[in-house]
Amino acid sequence: MIPLENFLILSGILFATGLYGVLARRSAILILMSVELMLAAVSINFVAFAAYLDGEAFSGLVFALFVITVAAAEVGLALGIVLRLFRERRTSYVDAADSLKW
Amino acid sequence: MEEVWVLPAIPFAVFVVLGLVNRLIPRNGDFLAVLGMAAVVVLVGFVLADFQGAFDGEFFHPAAGANTYAFDWIDIGDGFFLIEFSTYVDAITMVMLPVVSFVALMVLVYSVGYMHGEQRYGWYFAALSLFVAAMLLLVISGNLLQLYLAWEGVGLASYLLIGFYWERQSAAEAAKKAFITTRIGDVGLLIGIILLWRVTGSFDIQEIIHAAEAGVFSETYLTIAMLFLFAGAAGKSAQFPLHVWLPDAMEGPTPVSALIHAATMVVAGVYLVARMLPVYDEVLIARDVVLYTGLLTAFMAATMGLVATDIKRVLAFSTISQLGFMFVALGVGAVTAAMFHLFTHAFFKSLLFLGSGSVIHATEEQEVSELGGLRKKMPITAFTFTIGSLALAGIPIFAGFWSKDEILHDLQKDGPLWAYALLAATAGLTAIYTTRLVLLTFFGKPRNQHAYDHAHESPPIMTVPLLLLASLATVAGLVVYSDVGQLFGFVGGIGEVVIAHGEPHVFAIDWAFAGAATATAIAGIVIGFAYWWGDAKRAVQAQSWAPELHQLFARRYYLDELYQAFINYGILGLSSVVAWFDKRVVNETGVDGGTQFIGFLGHRLKFLQTGRIPNYALGMALGVAALAIVAIGTT
Repeated sequence: MIPLENFLILSGILFATGLYGVLARRSAILILMSVELMLAAVSINFVAFAAYLDGEAFSGLVFALFVITVAAAEVGLALGIVLRLFRERRTSYVDAADSLKW
Repeated sequence: MEEVWVLPAIPFAVFVVLGLVNRLIPRNGDFLAVLGMAAVVVLVGFVLADFQGAFDGEFFHPAAGANTYAFDWIDIGDGFFLIEFSTYVDAITMVMLPVVSFVALMVLVYSVGYMHGEQRYGWYFAALSLFVAAMLLLVISGNLLQLYLAWEGVGLASYLLIGFYWERQSAAEAAKKAFITTRIGDVGLLIGIILLWRVTGSFDIQEIIHAAEAGVFSETYLTIAMLFLFAGAAGKSAQFPLHVWLPDAMEGPTPVSALIHAATMVVAGVYLVARMLPVYDEVLIARDVVLYTGLLTAFMAATMGLVATDIKRVLAFSTISQLGFMFVALGVGAVTAAMFHLFTHAFFKSLLFLGSGSVIHATEEQEVSELGGLRKKMPITAFTFTIGSLALAGIPIFAGFWSKDEILHDLQKDGPLWAYALLAATAGLTAIYTTRLVLLTFFGKPRNQHAYDHAHESPPIMTVPLLLLASLATVAGLVVYSDVGQLFGFVGGIGEVVIAHGEPHVFAIDWAFAGAATATAIAGIVIGFAYWWGDAKRAVQAQSWAPELHQLFARRYYLDELYQAFINYGILGLSSVVAWFDKRVVNETGVDGGTQFIGFLGHRLKFLQTGRIPNYALGMALGVAALAIVAIGTT
């Protein structure tokens, strides 16, 4: 068996990469892609724990399914917002939406 | 005697009725007040008879007193704190009751004439009735708290009546001054009452006296308690340094001055000390304070009366001085002498005040500089006023002679020699200023011709009380020899025995002594004639010969200025410090400062809201990281 830690490290690296993408990208689409990456990393984490530690019960797998569904719905919503932003500001860079400030 | 509580109840009922509906009753209900008072006088006669029969003739024995307990009002802790309504009747009460009721009746009858046509006529009689009710309650009270209640009641009535002409600024201020000055004393009285209760657990006067005699108190504690009690007495009875309200109290109507500030309210302090004298005998330091305060006050007031120019002011200073005499008597332990002087003084002083009221009513003038030669125009007033003056000066057979002589005699026996000399000198001064007043008002040439022409004798409703009081001022002193006097504890005559606070002493007239006192009085009268007869040349000369001394007396020893300065610099100074603290520290720093700080924070923190999504994303990430560290750190 591959040791569990390998999966966790993989999940951690993916999550960190996604986090970096959310924080450091200007384009809204890229931020969404990074969020998806974080969600994927979390799913790997849950599935790994379910497969290695849970035995007969596999609640982690069920949770991963939920994550996929929620991710899909969320992306649909988010792309709708991005589309609106693009129509207002003619750009999809997130720093265009800064009018709610002091 | 069990029903002695009815005595204050009648005037109180009159007060309630008149206070509420006097405008609806014919003549504003003055007859109700007079009838009520007459009923009280009659009932006092019944109490007197009851008292005489009650103790097998031993009514001058110190233990002869009927304590009637009526009901518990407040009872906390099953006797720990008990306020009850109780009455106590003994020889001292039997002196006060006739004095208060009879003088009040005279004043009420007189007022019907004097106050005729004045506005708020009905309220005047209501307030007077309230006063009499409170005063009667005071003298029959069996416990100190009830006494304090009545004490405050008379203070209130005094305030209302001094300020009767409240449209006049000086009257309103005089009423305020009287109330505040006596209030300062009242605080002392209350502290004294509480101190006594703390040790004995009771407010009952007889219980406290027995406890004190049994030695329950420590010497220092009891001294302090009795000194506080005396502070209250000094305030109400206008002794130094709380005497400043009485001369100003003359702003009230003259019958009020006669009743309240001559005969009854101001003697409440004397009554209190006389009641508690067995306790004072345990702490002689406190009793000495009483003696010397009375002595100082008597002398000071006599000097101030010597130069006063308003008739009522002279009489006010005279009252303060005579009250000082009473306290001197109490200070050497002579209850009988003090109560006797209270008795006689009430009659002749109220007579003098009512007489002065007659003059004021006729001439509309109070200043001596506007009067003179009135004896031809107002013979009855002049005659009765002269009788009152002779009684005040202490001329034999008139009432004042007997009581004043008794005080001087007791002082000479039991007190220091210099005190006796000073009081004798004061008695001489009394004769001098009394003669001065009579001469300047009723003799000589009229100084204000218009006032003189306008003057007329007063109507019978005013002169009859004058005549009645004059007859009492003449014969009241002789009660020492009669059965009537026996009732009051004034058993006298040669060889008879009277009880003063437990030790019998002979109430006998020492004729040599009396002769000396009379000689002083006559000398005073002669001096008065020499200086003020005719056009009073000698008096004017004397005034120019020592102007600072004259000013000292005329400005009442500058005490009023001193008190005002204390108020301005002391009290108002302190209050301005407190005001500064309230404004700067509490308000500006605390309240305003708090709001300003929050505003400042808001001004600075608003820059967190940049509106830029990456900033918010960073915030979220950092927050989650912090939570994760905390969560992992605590597992």
